[in-house]
Amino acid sequence: MTQFRPGRDVYVVGVGLHAFGRFPDQSLSDLARDAVVDALQDSGIPWTAIPVAYFGHVYYQGMSVGETTLAQLGLTGVPIINVENACSSGSTAFWQAYWGVTSGVFDVALAFGAEKVPGGPVTVTAEDSPARYIGGDHMMAGYALRMKRYMEETGATAAALAQVTVKARQNAAMNPYAHRKDTYSVEDVLNSRLIADPLTLYQCCPTSEGGAAAVLCAGDTLDAYGVDRSRAIRIAAAALTSGNYNGRGSDHSAFSPYRTEPAALQAYEMAGIGPEDVDLVQVHDAATIGELQQIEALHLFPYGEAWRATAEGRTALTGDVPVNTDGGLLAMGHPFGATGIRMVHETVTQLRGEAGPRQVENPRVGVAQCSGAGDVTTVHILTR
Amino acid sequence: MPVSVDEKCLRLTGDDGTSGTLLGMRCTECGIVVFGPATFCQSCSSPALEEIELATGGVLYSYTIVRVPPPGWPGPVPYVLGEVELPEGPHVLAEVIECTHDALQVGMPMTLALQPVSMPDVPGSERVVYKWRPAM
Repeated sequence: MTQFRPGRDVYVVGVGLHAFGRFPDQSLSDLARDAVVDALQDSGIPWTAIPVAYFGHVYYQGMSVGETTLAQLGLTGVPIINVENACSSGSTAFWQAYWGVTSGVFDVALAFGAEKVPGGPVTVTAEDSPARYIGGDHMMAGYALRMKRYMEETGATAAALAQVTVKARQNAAMNPYAHRKDTYSVEDVLNSRLIADPLTLYQCCPTSEGGAAAVLCAGDTLDAYGVDRSRAIRIAAAALTSGNYNGRGSDHSAFSPYRTEPAALQAYEMAGIGPEDVDLVQVHDAATIGELQQIEALHLFPYGEAWRATAEGRTALTGDVPVNTDGGLLAMGHPFGATGIRMVHETVTQLRGEAGPRQVENPRVGVAQCSGAGDVTTVHILTR
Repeated sequence: MPVSVDEKCLRLTGDDGTSGTLLGMRCTECGIVVFGPATFCQSCSSPALEEIELATGGVLYSYTIVRVPPPGWPGPVPYVLGEVELPEGPHVLAEVIECTHDALQVGMPMTLALQPVSMPDVPGSERVVYKWRPAM
């Protein structure tokens, strides 16, 4: 069904972040601009040479926010596309940038994302939706339903699920950009207040603000743009999918991990690799259960085994499949528009060997996976 | 007259708001059933759909006790949210009532229950909402 015809090799040649957290004194444009300036400096390509930009964000902050953000860098007249694709908005902007370059339309592209969000539970539907009467439109309740069912089917322990947060916080403690840097024990996680049983507060990602950006460049124009080849990271696959009936339909638990599988298989095929070749992974851990089910959907562990692998430390920085090495959504927080590109930032940083105290040993292949409402899933594979 | 929370998902059958049926669409080509309205089949894209009345019960596929409600939630806190699998296939999310937390069990049989719900301080906002309760 899906057809993809990648053309030229495409590389990530610059990445940038604005710290994730709460920044009442900064506008969406401020957060985004800082990340973009960072990424441009990292790439060595000046803003005036960027021919196209894609901007991911979700919460309404006025029209054409991508344009008003980049106007601060100079009015160059380039096309700027604002992208809303739920929690995958940032990664969708990145996906579009990839296809814009590999197809030959552009030699270079900028993908960036940022978010300003209210606190409290996140809902998907509009305010006048019947869902408000029914009580089912609640992101974390959706994850809690999946978690309960997963524990029932696989025998996963509460401690193993809590370990996902413990690991995330350990990784984030070594990441200056993270929203939450305090470390917790399994008991701390389990004893934090219940949000939707069995999910406790520390097993839910904070809704955070932040910005992220990446500069992409065609392989055959790296030299023309003066890019340092030793720090360029190849995009081996870029997959984006929406809901696939897949025998389960759209009535199944919201944000089902089953949606990730088709995107993952597409990405592995495109990259010509398999899950056994993956050295590190960033996945959509909006809740602890999310991480476990996503790494299973990526075929990194058999169904029902990710909790045990986590308890055994296999997903820690020193494990055989390090997952969410920068702290993930659980500790970085989740500015919808920025998250997907933040994952690219971490993957690139690790593959360059520049991750400092949280550096994974000699990685060659990294995967970044995002998913969101509408069953939007992205899987990107980056290689050194 | 009582008003259904969503007439394409719940048809009231009496005039006192206590009886009604969940509605679905069945594909006459591949047999797939979905809860609520549809124009084309989710699985095979056929337009040959027929409206059907869904079973009045199913089994509890999963549940959660929501301690921090979504914005605008008009009901009690905490409340139980149940995902019920109907015999026709669809899963239907709704509040679980008349069940102590200790009695909740994945796989337990559930039956449809209708209750009026109003948004606080909004005149005329009463709607009949579908919920689940343990089957007797």
